[in-house]
Amino acid sequence: MKGTQLGEFEEIVLLTIARLYDDAYGVAVLEELSERLERHMSLGVVHRTLQRLEEKGLVHSRFSEPIAERGGRSKRLFTVTMTGEQALREARRIRNELWDGIPKTAFDHQP
Amino acid sequence: MNRKNKTQPDQQPEPPRWAEWLMTRITAPHLRNEVLGDMYELFQTRSQQYGHTPAQLLYVLEMLLLLHPRLWRRQPQVTPFFPQSTYYSPPNPMTMLSNYVRIAWRKLNRHKSYTLINVVSLSLGIACAILIFTLVNYHLSFDTFHAHQDRIYRIYTELHTDKITYSTGVPNPMGEAFRKGYSVADKVGRIAFLKKRVVSLSPEKKFEQDVAFADSEFLDIFNFPLVQGNPKTALQDRNTALITERVAKQYFGDKDPIGQILHIDGSLIVKVTGVLKDLPATTDFRSEVYLPYDNLQEHSPWLVEKDWWVGFNKEMQCFIRLKPDVSAEVVDAKILPAITDKYYDKANAKLFHFNLQPLSDVHFNPKLRGYTEKKNLWTFALIGLFLVVTACVNFINLATAQALGRSKEVGVRKALGSERGALFWQFITETALIAGLAMIIAVALAYLLLPFVNQWFDIQLVLNPLADAQLLAFLVGLLLIVVFCSGAYPGLILARFQPVLALKGKLSQRAVGGFSLRKGLVVTQFAISQLLIIGTLIITNQLRYSQQADMGFQKDAIVILPVPDNKTSKINTLGTQLSEQAGVENVTFFDSPPATEFLASTSFRFDTRPENEKFNISMKAGDHRYIPTFKIPILAGRNLAPSDTIGEYLLNETAVKALGLASLQDVIGKAATINGRKGTIVGVMKDFHFKSFRVAVEPLCLTTWGELYNSCGVKINPANLRTTLAGFEKAWTAMYPSSIYTYRFLDEDIERFYKLDTMLLRLIQAFAAIAIFVGCLGLYGLVSFMAAQKTKEIGVRKVLGASTTSILWLFGKEFSRLLLIAFLLAAPLAWWVMSNWLNSFVYRIELGAGIFVLAILITVLVALLTVSFRSVKAALMNPVKTLRTE
Repeated sequence: MKGTQLGEFEEIVLLTIARLYDDAYGVAVLEELSERLERHMSLGVVHRTLQRLEEKGLVHSRFSEPIAERGGRSKRLFTVTMTGEQALREARRIRNELWDGIPKTAFDHQP
Repeated sequence: MNRKNKTQPDQQPEPPRWAEWLMTRITAPHLRNEVLGDMYELFQTRSQQYGHTPAQLLYVLEMLLLLHPRLWRRQPQVTPFFPQSTYYSPPNPMTMLSNYVRIAWRKLNRHKSYTLINVVSLSLGIACAILIFTLVNYHLSFDTFHAHQDRIYRIYTELHTDKITYSTGVPNPMGEAFRKGYSVADKVGRIAFLKKRVVSLSPEKKFEQDVAFADSEFLDIFNFPLVQGNPKTALQDRNTALITERVAKQYFGDKDPIGQILHIDGSLIVKVTGVLKDLPATTDFRSEVYLPYDNLQEHSPWLVEKDWWVGFNKEMQCFIRLKPDVSAEVVDAKILPAITDKYYDKANAKLFHFNLQPLSDVHFNPKLRGYTEKKNLWTFALIGLFLVVTACVNFINLATAQALGRSKEVGVRKALGSERGALFWQFITETALIAGLAMIIAVALAYLLLPFVNQWFDIQLVLNPLADAQLLAFLVGLLLIVVFCSGAYPGLILARFQPVLALKGKLSQRAVGGFSLRKGLVVTQFAISQLLIIGTLIITNQLRYSQQADMGFQKDAIVILPVPDNKTSKINTLGTQLSEQAGVENVTFFDSPPATEFLASTSFRFDTRPENEKFNISMKAGDHRYIPTFKIPILAGRNLAPSDTIGEYLLNETAVKALGLASLQDVIGKAATINGRKGTIVGVMKDFHFKSFRVAVEPLCLTTWGELYNSCGVKINPANLRTTLAGFEKAWTAMYPSSIYTYRFLDEDIERFYKLDTMLLRLIQAFAAIAIFVGCLGLYGLVSFMAAQKTKEIGVRKVLGASTTSILWLFGKEFSRLLLIAFLLAAPLAWWVMSNWLNSFVYRIELGAGIFVLAILITVLVALLTVSFRSVKAALMNPVKTLRTE
């Protein structure tokens, strides 16, 4: 199903959400990703991905209490849904299978 | 870096406000909270890391990177599977707009005649409203641009003789007395307006021009700025002049006007020291050449005699600007009476009363030669309003008539789940399309009609909705009002239909809304049309009567030439030269022709009576040929003998009657002292109308008085008019080389008395035509409505054998009744209004039944045509078609 198809970046964001469990929101995801990927990325990209993930039903969101440091605004906190988890596991399975199937000589590069 | 210092350490740094505001506007509501929160949080972190300014820059950058349709896309609509679901929100009417417009366009396209009628009647109404608005606005803005205009007043004179007469002028010493004796005014400006003087640059280059002699303070009171010259010293030095840019251009072309020399009336020589900005269209002070008041002494010394308190001229005016804390009432009640007491003897103090007239009243006080009364403007405004309202009423009538036909459409829409609100907006959109179209046509129409309006009213209106904010606001406001007034009612009615009934076609007429209300509106429309028709008929008749009636003297084929210099020798030579021309029957010299608009009256002492008469008498100066030229009959005694000085008087019948004498013969040979000058009464002339028909004939005397002659009247044989006039010009120019030759015909002069009435007539004609037309459209709407309702009834009747005529009568009797009611309302009202108007004429037509009958005949005829147009269609319809639907 197209709905559960995960893009690469989506997968990374989804993993970050899972990892940040209970504190996954826009800025946190952004910072975590910037740190891990060691490249700057814009809020817009993260944001759109989060939205897309929610539309696909891979994550679920709720609002936190308003927070002073955010100018009195609340966070939208994301958690991975069951579908999300399945999608991640499926992705992982595919990768594992692919890894497992790589012949030993495949990485013997020519000089 | 500066900014960093300004930020308090304990204060949170804030992201750029404009960017934050922009974000709020762009972001979809359901995303706003988190997006702005994230942005804010990031900003806070960054401003700690990199400082305030970089953080701000990053904020803006972040904002730009965020921009994506996802950001402003509204929340995906959740289909309200369960209507009570909290997710459900009513559709936003605006999102439906394109759909509304499309459907409305189709509907209007399908019902072309309906659209046409509505567009035509609305655009006519709106065009009139636009023109009337421009006109009223123009008049209301007269002289409102002067600084402190609410403190500017004109002193005017009330002369209390046997009746009260008003004059805009004051005696010459008034200004000085007011300035020196009392400190209530900031500024006191005397001014003398002199009409039609000759301004010459050289013997060949002459212009006829109105000039004004004014105190230097006049320019402080009024806001007529100088573009060249020094406003502080302007009009202070003798022999200087201020001219407007327009006049400068006319006189000197592209030459610098400053320092140029002007000759006024061949005697006064002045140097131009300043150029005034061109006068705005909305001022009543139209002089374009200003000279210092002091120069009036040389130009017309008799006007400025120092202690001459008992005479005044309407053109010798005095304006003051009161100090801010002084009220006009106090000046009226205390100071002006004090002036009267101080400067007049007892008898004259009773006669002379002075009052203040606010500047805002100058344009609107006909007693003091103002243009018109404000109430006339309000009448216009009311007519404009009426035209717009009737157009809306027609619209409502037609739309509700159509409602029945559209009931099925509404039923289907409702059954398919259309909201009442959505239906309402659908109809509003339809109306807005019609009204918008009408508005565009109306503006175009107003543009086309503007030149005619300007010509009728002799004004210069401009129409530029893009530059004129008031007009633009008016147009937008009018459009909104029209759309909602005429769209809301049918919209509400239609939206209220019960879908089941509507689909079954079982809507009763009551569901479509008050039929009798609309009958009432049609009655009102027709009452007003009839009112206007009756008005038109009466004014036309009265004007024809005034212009064609016998005024008691000969007025045809008389040419009037001005006489700039009335030395006896010159007059005699000119007289001889003129009478020698072919086609000339008589030549006479006088100060005013038999009929003039204004004629002052003066005191009269008869014979040996010890006191002046209670009444005043008007005086005309004319030579011995006056009576034969104008063919005024002499009833007793003889005509005046040739002379240049006052020696003999001719009285009119009214004067003799006022003296209380039994026979006309009794005055012959008696002495008379008129205006302090003694003479003998030699004859009695028949009464003639020496003013307009508005006023009764008053006591009048005619005398020879060479000093006053300023015109020459020539009775000609109109056969060879052109050569005769050319001959006059030659003789006249040879006699007065430094003056400008003009001539006019006496009958044209008399027509001018009725200029305002002629204007009124044209206006009422136009309004009457439009009102009738719009009223007919209203009738058409009502008939359509009835026809739509009675389709089946007519079908059944026809099947049962009714004739077409009997069906026509079905409509006819209804409308005859409505018209009759309208007439019964209009006739008494018209009678009352028009007899009031006629009362302003002393000699007038009688209000006969004929006019009323004619009026109702016209309306009945027009209405009949309209009604039959639609009802014939209904009556001829094939009953098979109409009944098959059952």
